[in-house]
Amino acid sequence: MSSTVIEQAVEREEPAAPKKNYLNADHTIKSWLLTGDHKRIAVLYLISVTFFFFLGGLAAAFIRAELTSPMGTLLNSETYNKMFSAHGIIMIFFFLVAAIPAVLGNFLIPLMIGARDLAFPRLNLASWYVFMLGGLLFIIALIMGGVDAGWTFYTPLSSLYSQTQITLALVGLFLAGFSSIMTGVNFIATIHKMRAPGMTWFRLPLYVWSHYATSIIVILGTPVVAITLLLVALERGLRIGIFSPELGGDPVLFQHMFWFYSHPAVYIMLLPGMGIISEIMACFSRRPVFGYKFVAFSSMAIAGLGFLVWGHHMYVSSQSVYQGIIFSLISFLVAVPSAIKVFNWSLTMWKGSVIFSTPMIYALGFLGLFTIGGLTGLYLSAIGTDIHLTGTYFIVAHFHYVMVGGTVMAFLGGLHFWWPKMFGRMYSEFWGRVSAIVVFVGFNFTFFPQFILGYLGMPRRYHYYYIAPEWQIYNVLSTAGSTVLGIGFLMPVFYLLKSLKSGPIAGPNPWGATGLEWEAASSPPITLNFEGMPKVVGPVYNYDAIEDSESYRREMKEKVTK
Amino acid sequence: MPEVYPQFEDIDQQQETYIVGMWAFLVNEVMFFGPLFFIYGLYAWKHNAVFYVTSHHLDYKIGALNTTILLISSWMVAMAVHYHQKNQLKKVCNMLWGAAVCGTLFLAIKLIFEWAPKFSHGLFPNPGFQSRYLAYYGADTNVDVARLFFSMYFAITGLHALHVLIGVLIFVWLIRLIKKRPDVITDYVPTEMVGLYWHFVDLVWIFLFPLFYLMPK
Amino acid sequence: MSEHTSTTNGHGDHGHGDHGHSGHHVIPQAKLLQTFFVLMGLMIATVVAARLPYEGGVKGIPSAIAWLVLLGIAFWKAGLVVQIFMGVKYSTKLTKLYAYGGFFWVTLLGVTLFDYATRQLEPVQGWEPVAESALPR
Repeated sequence: MSSTVIEQAVEREEPAAPKKNYLNADHTIKSWLLTGDHKRIAVLYLISVTFFFFLGGLAAAFIRAELTSPMGTLLNSETYNKMFSAHGIIMIFFFLVAAIPAVLGNFLIPLMIGARDLAFPRLNLASWYVFMLGGLLFIIALIMGGVDAGWTFYTPLSSLYSQTQITLALVGLFLAGFSSIMTGVNFIATIHKMRAPGMTWFRLPLYVWSHYATSIIVILGTPVVAITLLLVALERGLRIGIFSPELGGDPVLFQHMFWFYSHPAVYIMLLPGMGIISEIMACFSRRPVFGYKFVAFSSMAIAGLGFLVWGHHMYVSSQSVYQGIIFSLISFLVAVPSAIKVFNWSLTMWKGSVIFSTPMIYALGFLGLFTIGGLTGLYLSAIGTDIHLTGTYFIVAHFHYVMVGGTVMAFLGGLHFWWPKMFGRMYSEFWGRVSAIVVFVGFNFTFFPQFILGYLGMPRRYHYYYIAPEWQIYNVLSTAGSTVLGIGFLMPVFYLLKSLKSGPIAGPNPWGATGLEWEAASSPPITLNFEGMPKVVGPVYNYDAIEDSESYRREMKEKVTK
Repeated sequence: MPEVYPQFEDIDQQQETYIVGMWAFLVNEVMFFGPLFFIYGLYAWKHNAVFYVTSHHLDYKIGALNTTILLISSWMVAMAVHYHQKNQLKKVCNMLWGAAVCGTLFLAIKLIFEWAPKFSHGLFPNPGFQSRYLAYYGADTNVDVARLFFSMYFAITGLHALHVLIGVLIFVWLIRLIKKRPDVITDYVPTEMVGLYWHFVDLVWIFLFPLFYLMPK
Repeated sequence: MSEHTSTTNGHGDHGHGDHGHSGHHVIPQAKLLQTFFVLMGLMIATVVAARLPYEGGVKGIPSAIAWLVLLGIAFWKAGLVVQIFMGVKYSTKLTKLYAYGGFFWVTLLGVTLFDYATRQLEPVQGWEPVAESALPR
């Protein structure tokens, strides 16, 4: 690989933080709330999704506390139903779907492709307001009594029988969906049309590829679930009968329409995380990502195939068995592009000089946990085993391994990786590593016992299990682990916030990473991102392990252990 | 001279980006209406005989009239874009006014001649549907499924009418901007984007009309 | 991903006066008017086709032909609107990809039909179909 040459119209900034950057360009509250700057909107989103994350985590804490005893400890059944519904809805619709694209994607895509902003800054701001309005409506629904239909809102419970605040919650989710559509449209237009001169498709960082795939899924899938949830709301209000068998409708049709979005939504949550892992792996192995084109196209393959597997959520819900067989086959196929990614990341590290910094520890955690999550997914895509395992804690453990072990680990890894870029200051590397390890250990203690519980047959969404008190040990283990996990999640809040005040100045490229956001922009970037227009002439991921491995390794070790 | 926003390099890039963004939005609109049409098609297939009988309680002549009105408006919008590309702003405004009037006319016909009678007859999803249907049309078919037909009819035409209403409001807003704020509307792209939206609304009706009003047995 | 090479340079380096680009194509008035009249003709044709007396009931061939004619005309009209009025015919490959990609993708919902073709839609108890119900039981 030849070396990168990145030309700039104006000479590079000195290592200190620039005097004028996007953070201190203007200080009024109004300048934040009416900003068009993608970086400021990303910060607004960061604050919002962190709030929702801890709100959802609070609900999870109640669930775990309840399950420590076979007879329950503190909640009655209705409250327990509302608690796991709130946990699922907040975490999925208000944290996971928005977290990586709206925070890190918003911040980094223009920087990575060499644009001054996203294509439609006002649309971007509007998406934040719509997101917040949706969140507000859902919180109002919670205060008025909550929702007990689970995050899947299966009919006819959600449409005809539930007496809780489902209509209000559905409107909130509808708005949150529109917020992600706005972000998706913005990303697509930006990635297609705003790339800097010389930034060809195959010079794009894989992070941008995965966000492109995500945005495609968002605009193709989200409207389907939006209209479906709207029909459920209409069914509640007007009894229109589309999902009511007593009026000639079909409740299973809801599941078809819902999973048409909600299975691809898994990839909406996961693909951006995979993009982050590609960046971190390359930087801290000092090697280009192995098989760049395979990783790029596997993102697109996941986006495409992801739309053809929704029926594997419905093997036992009276879907035609013939269709089940086809969906089962295609579900196995999705494992192929995911495996390509995992193997390519592993090969990226091979013969690289791996540096165990905080982001890298998160990325390695992702690699292991996502592999377990993905492989247990194969158990569930086989119809035979799925009939035993579906609706049990095995499923719960599986999707937490993918969602928390995958997306949340990637989000935290990405946040640590780009934190110096976002705020211009380094956090405490020691505490970063400690928290990464605590999260990893706590996570496994929380969710591994749930695989066993599910295999033993404990159904999800039940809070009494006095028929099988031998499950208590696993539940207690899981609750203990979740406490550790919670501490692991809380730690970054403290040391990251502390770094804002007293962290050492990061300089434009503290990790020695490649990419326009590191090499051509200051930390934190100025409002228009670049001084002049960057021009890209070299390939992406221009790391060279042989050339600079030993000296570089020593230098970086000093830096990250400081 | 067209204004270039700071995030863009030049006017070509800006215009192309806006068109790409608009098409991405339209893809999203296609997927928004898609499930409704799909659900309608599914039930029309599964409850074919009932839907056939019930669909004849709609007046295809009114449907055809509304189709004509929407086609005229669609042509007018296409002409508005044409004139805007030639920078003949007076004609742009005339064409947009024409389209707005057509849209309003469409809504008025829909409301006065189709929805209002259906509502006054009680032929919308409501608890009294069964008895009202029997009173008006007799036991000509399975009344519960007939109700499903009317549910789909109001869901799709309602969502379509909402889009028409939004379109008319955008027309009026755009005409105001063209007349009062030449600093905002500096080239034809806003008209083009509004036009794309309006053609999409027309497209929905092109499928809606035969599926609901002209259903063969 | 048909346009990797065609739009590699996001920031066009051609000047402002360059109207050779397809995004600026001005569709002639005559073409628009002609399209409008064709659309009107198709609309009348579809009404006439639907009012033709079809005998032979649900399973007869004529009704299937009627469906084909109606949907065929609808797709023809939609194609005209997309190609001419929306100008996709004169636009970039990227626009064509999105325009047709959306219409293609929505047909994936049809995979669900396979489910309904291979199982029965069972009404619940208390739902009593009347004699003419087409519901397979």
